[in-house]
Amino acid sequence: MQINELISPKRITHAMPATSKKRLLEKISALLHEDEPELDETAAFQSLIERERLGSTGIGNGVALPHGRLKGLTKAVGAFAILEQEMDYDAVDRKPVKMVFALLVPENADEEHLKILAQLAGIFSKQEMREKLLHARNDKEIYDCLTG
Amino acid sequence: MKIIILGAGQVGTSVAVNLVTEANDITVIDTDPKRLDELQDRLDLRTVQGSGSHPETLQAAGAEDTDMILAVTNSDETNMVACQVAYTLFHTPTKIARIRAVEYLSHPEIFTQEAFPIDVIISPEQIVTDHVQRLIEYPTALQVVDFAGGQVQLVAVRAYYGGPLVGHELRALRDHLPNIETRVAAIYRQDRAIIPEGDTVIEADDEVFFIAAQKHIRAVMSELRKLDKPVKRVMLAGGGNIGRRLAIALENSNYSTKIIEHNPERAQEVADALHKSVVLVGDAADEELLIRESVEDSDVFCALTNDDEANILSAMLAKRLGARKVMALINRAAYVDLVQSTGDIDIAISPQQATIGSLLAHVRRGDVVAVHALRRGAAEAIEAVAHGDASTSRVVGRAIEAIKLPPGTTIGAIVRGKDVLMAHHDTVIEADDHIILFVVDKKRIPEVEKLFQVAYSFF
Repeated sequence: MQINELISPKRITHAMPATSKKRLLEKISALLHEDEPELDETAAFQSLIERERLGSTGIGNGVALPHGRLKGLTKAVGAFAILEQEMDYDAVDRKPVKMVFALLVPENADEEHLKILAQLAGIFSKQEMREKLLHARNDKEIYDCLTG
Repeated sequence: MKIIILGAGQVGTSVAVNLVTEANDITVIDTDPKRLDELQDRLDLRTVQGSGSHPETLQAAGAEDTDMILAVTNSDETNMVACQVAYTLFHTPTKIARIRAVEYLSHPEIFTQEAFPIDVIISPEQIVTDHVQRLIEYPTALQVVDFAGGQVQLVAVRAYYGGPLVGHELRALRDHLPNIETRVAAIYRQDRAIIPEGDTVIEADDEVFFIAAQKHIRAVMSELRKLDKPVKRVMLAGGGNIGRRLAIALENSNYSTKIIEHNPERAQEVADALHKSVVLVGDAADEELLIRESVEDSDVFCALTNDDEANILSAMLAKRLGARKVMALINRAAYVDLVQSTGDIDIAISPQQATIGSLLAHVRRGDVVAVHALRRGAAEAIEAVAHGDASTSRVVGRAIEAIKLPPGTTIGAIVRGKDVLMAHHDTVIEADDHIILFVVDKKRIPEVEKLFQVAYSFF
C-alpha cells in the first residue's frame, strides 16, 4: 500500500502539544477523524489506548506506531504527528518518543492491513527519513517527505 | 501511570500507600484539608482540596492527563458522578468506583457506558465478607484466593506433624495423591521464601502455598496437616455492614450462627434480615455473655466491628474461653503485624490487604485479570492473559521451561477455556491462556509485567 492512501495533508501536524501518553492518543484520535467524518473519535481513542495497555508501540529511535482495530471502518486510516516535546513512551529502547504514526484498520483486518504496520516500521527505521521529518518546517513538507 | 484518588478516607489512604511506591504519579482529592496535609506529610503525592465530582477540581488534579480515576469517597453518589464527569469531560480511560448501596448494585444496567460509565465497581465490604467466608469454609487455611472465576484456588496452609507429606520430598505428593493435580508455588520457612523443587522437603511449621482446582483443595490440605473438623457453629461480633452480609451468607450455607451487636436498633435490623440465626444485644467483650452463649462450643469466632481494639480484645477473650479458631478484623496495619506475631489470634483480617488486589489488577501493565496481595503485601499472586503469537509474545508458543521468569517467580497453573492445567515444565503456552503466577518478591512485578507485554507488531 502507498502511504498517500493512508494519510491526507489534514491528518498531519508538525507540532503537537501533549503532556502525557493519554493526552497524545486523545489528540491523535482527533487527528485521525480529519477528512474521515465517519470515523468515531472516541472509539478510536478507546481502541488505541486498549492496545497500548497490552504493550507499548514505541518501536525505538523516538518513533511510536500506536494502532488498533475499529468497528465500522472500511479501510486503513493513518495520521502522523511530530511532538512539540519528546515524551516517555515506555519504548523498546527506552528512548523518549518524538514522532508518532497512528494507524487504524477495520475490525476484521486481513493480512494486507497487517502488513502496513511492518511497512511503516520499515520506513521509520531509516535514519535519513527520520531526520528529514524532524527538520520539516511545516505540515506540507512532512506530507511530501512521507509520500515522496 | 497517572492516577487520581477521590477520597482520603481509610480506603483512599491505603490505596495511595500501596500505589505510591510503584512509580505511579498520584493525586488525591478530598474536601478535608487536614486529611490531605496528613497524607502529604507521609507520602510523595499531590493533593487537591475540593469536591471530587466537580469538573474544576478534577481539572486542577490533572484529569486531562490521567489514566485512571479511583472514586472511593464515602458517598456512592459522589463516586458515580465523578466517574461520569471524568468520562464526559476528560475521556479518562479507566474509571473505578466504590459503590456500597445494594440498591444500586442490584441494577447492573446503571453502570453502562450510556448511564454511569464505570469500568469497575469495588465493594470493599463484599470483598472482605467473601474473604472471611472462605476462611470459614476452609478452617485449616491461612488464606484462600480465587482465580479464573473460582475454577482455581491458591491456598496458604501451615504444615504440621501428622500431615502425610511433612518430612517428605515434594515429589512424593504424586504417589500420595495419584489422581490429583496440584502445584506448590512457594514455601515460607521462618519467614524466608523457598522456591520449591521436586526434592524440597516439607518441614513442620512451613507456610505452604499451593494451587489446585477448587474440588481438590481439601485433599491437598490433608497432606500437609490433620484437617480441622468442618465448621458448624460460628459466632460473629458486630452486626455492621460486614457482619450482616456475612451472617446472611453463612445462613444460606447452613452454618449455625450467633451475632452479638451492642446497638439495639442495629441488632433489630440484623434480626429482621435473618431467619435462622440468633441475634444477641450486648458487648462482645463481655465475658459473662460469651460464656452464657457457650463460646467454647463455637468453631469460629469472628470479631467484625469497626473498632480495632474491641475486635482484638473480644477475639482474644473468645480464644481464652475456648473458641476453636478466632479471627479479628483489623484496619490499622501496625496492629495487624502485632497480632500476627503474638499468635493469640489465629487470623488477623486486614480489609486493606483483601481489597488492594482488586485495584492492583487495573494498575498492572499488560492484560492482568486478578491480583492478590499475599504475606501482608510482600508477595503477589497474579492471573495474566497471554496474547499474541511466538513472534510478538515472550510466553506464547513456548514451553514453561523456556520462559525466562524473573527469580522467585513460579507459574502454578494455566486456565485454558474451561480446562485447568497444572504447570509442567513442558506445557506450551497458547494465546489467550490465563496464567497464574506466584511472585515471592513484589519488586519483581515490573519484570513479570514486561514478560506479558506484546511486541509493537501485535495487532
